[in-house]
Amino acid sequence: MVTSTSAKKHLATTLEVPALRKKYYAESLQQAGGRKVAWCSNGIPSEILEAMDINAVYLENYATVCAAKRLSSGFCRAGERAGFSQDVCGYARILMGHLLGGEEAPQAPYGGVAKPDFLIVNSYSCDSRMGWFGTMSRTLDLPLYVLDAPYQPQGGCMDDVNVAYTESQLEDFAAFLEEQTGMKLDRDKLREKLDLSRRSHDIQVEIFEMRKAVPSPMGAGDAYTIVWPGMYMAGTKECDEFYQRLRAEVSERIEKKVGVVPEEKFRLLWSGLPFWYNMALLNYFEEFGGVVAIENAYFRYQRSLPSQHDDPIKDMAISSTMRRPYAGDIEQRAELTRDIVRDYHVDGVVLAFNPSCRLMYVLQPELKNVLDRDGIPNVSIECDMADERTYSEGQIKTRLDAFIERMLSRRK
Amino acid sequence: MITVGVDIGSATSKAVLLSGDEVAGHSLIATGAESANSARRVMDEVLQRSRLSPNDIAYIVATGYGRVIVPFAQETITELTCHARGANWLFPSARTILDMGGQDCKAIRCDEEGRLENFAMNDKCAAGTGRFLELMARVLGLSLGELGELSLEATSEVMINSTCAVFAKSEVTSLIREGKARADVLAGLHSAIAARVYNLLRGVGVEPDLVITGGIGKNVGVVRKIEERVGLKALLPEEPQIVGALGAALIAQERIASGKEEAKW
Repeated sequence: MVTSTSAKKHLATTLEVPALRKKYYAESLQQAGGRKVAWCSNGIPSEILEAMDINAVYLENYATVCAAKRLSSGFCRAGERAGFSQDVCGYARILMGHLLGGEEAPQAPYGGVAKPDFLIVNSYSCDSRMGWFGTMSRTLDLPLYVLDAPYQPQGGCMDDVNVAYTESQLEDFAAFLEEQTGMKLDRDKLREKLDLSRRSHDIQVEIFEMRKAVPSPMGAGDAYTIVWPGMYMAGTKECDEFYQRLRAEVSERIEKKVGVVPEEKFRLLWSGLPFWYNMALLNYFEEFGGVVAIENAYFRYQRSLPSQHDDPIKDMAISSTMRRPYAGDIEQRAELTRDIVRDYHVDGVVLAFNPSCRLMYVLQPELKNVLDRDGIPNVSIECDMADERTYSEGQIKTRLDAFIERMLSRRK
Repeated sequence: MITVGVDIGSATSKAVLLSGDEVAGHSLIATGAESANSARRVMDEVLQRSRLSPNDIAYIVATGYGRVIVPFAQETITELTCHARGANWLFPSARTILDMGGQDCKAIRCDEEGRLENFAMNDKCAAGTGRFLELMARVLGLSLGELGELSLEATSEVMINSTCAVFAKSEVTSLIREGKARADVLAGLHSAIAARVYNLLRGVGVEPDLVITGGIGKNVGVVRKIEERVGLKALLPEEPQIVGALGAALIAQERIASGKEEAKW
């Protein structure tokens, strides 16, 4: 049973996000009649949707909202009654419960999401999404667009062939959107959106770089919240201004040496997805002088490339081939985790195994092998990221307490 | 200086009284529905047996699943840290500890000072734990204490596919109905448990010496199967169930020695 829920936020700027999110969903509902609504998976570039005035609803994000509001049990049960096995992605079960649960499903937060006109999924994050969106497309009898991208080998895939393929996919995607909306893509508008998005992305990279500071100016409890505008409002002025304010606050904390905890005793990396229904777990270490200084799930590490082409789609092709840390080789993830441990002065790692997220789950054993080989203390905990019925307080706390004891006993 | 370690497990509650270098007494009772009550009872019992009063005790550390609800403990430490410390005190050569308790199994690695290094535990499933064996004993019409010895009489071990308590129960019922000998079925069950805990042990890496603690440590059949799997002879404490409480009492002693300041698990 979960006894606590939302994470304690240490930064004032973070506290702006819930209001931004609420407004975002409210506007989406209000505008549903006028603008075409696209239900999207994560990883669908919002800039192009913004440029075409498409009302995008990112379903996985909505699932995390449901989980954070402690509604995942009811929605998951409804999703399972509709025929989705417990092994299916928790986000998908929540949404299918919302979609097909009828009277038995809990009341939807924010008054629900706008009804879709078409669906968009990417092919490269995980296979569950494809099945989930395919099912929704058949159930709702709506068109589905699958945005494909090449496999990302170690070292990236920015060779001419891959970039050309990605470009052809984006052109095809734009054509699909034009067909659905009956509007022509305004490439100048897209260029503006991309310029803004690039800027706020780079500020985020800068903030993530700043988090290497000791004591940690911003922990994971804040970080999992502050990535939200960049993921769903990229290309907007609001998003850009948000990150500018956040950068200023983080910078001030570093200058004044204000840490997450008064006396930092150990720093942790949270590997995998957090438990959205119990984000307070990220603060659990703080009473023992520990801080989750960094997380690898939404880690921002690569600055964007400067614009190279007149055609914004060509630039997008290049940037989207470099910004997909999950689509690549497992070695690449292991290497990145190793870099994080070194650069962020990490003393130990919490490996969150999220059983219904195959994408993240399969990475963890190899990361564990790498950490064990490097002698980095780590602890494995298993809980779904969205389905709170999988959470067992006693079991999780025993593991974390033992791990904290181990961290403190080895302090120099 | 006398310290006490209290270990409130899911099935049994244990208390160990440590006086200097000696275990001055121990007590073991079934954990009732009220864990706080069990803690009080096991504490009273160990004090009574040693003819001591609560005022004689310098420091109490609680451990185990119910550690947070021991009202009279000065500190709580997880059973993982405590088992490492207790086993290493009994056997200084111990580097790997397998604790097989009522509701979970833990593979623990420690350093030469008995400090916790790494651990792995079974997740959300009672397969292969004390509860599992209790259920199987009932299905086979045996007492828990009879399982180990009887399984050694097996002549043709039966393969059991599942350590899931529910599935194994129906599998065992069918096997008995088919006329399989109880010893053969038991040997199969013990092998299935050994296979499951071997995975946990592999997760932390087995380094000699291996110590088996917890209630299942009393089941010679399971111990043999684990030894076969791991390829190592296991060291067995005289009373495997009190090792966690012993570790807690040892840590309590260290707290006193270090003026309760320096954490030195």
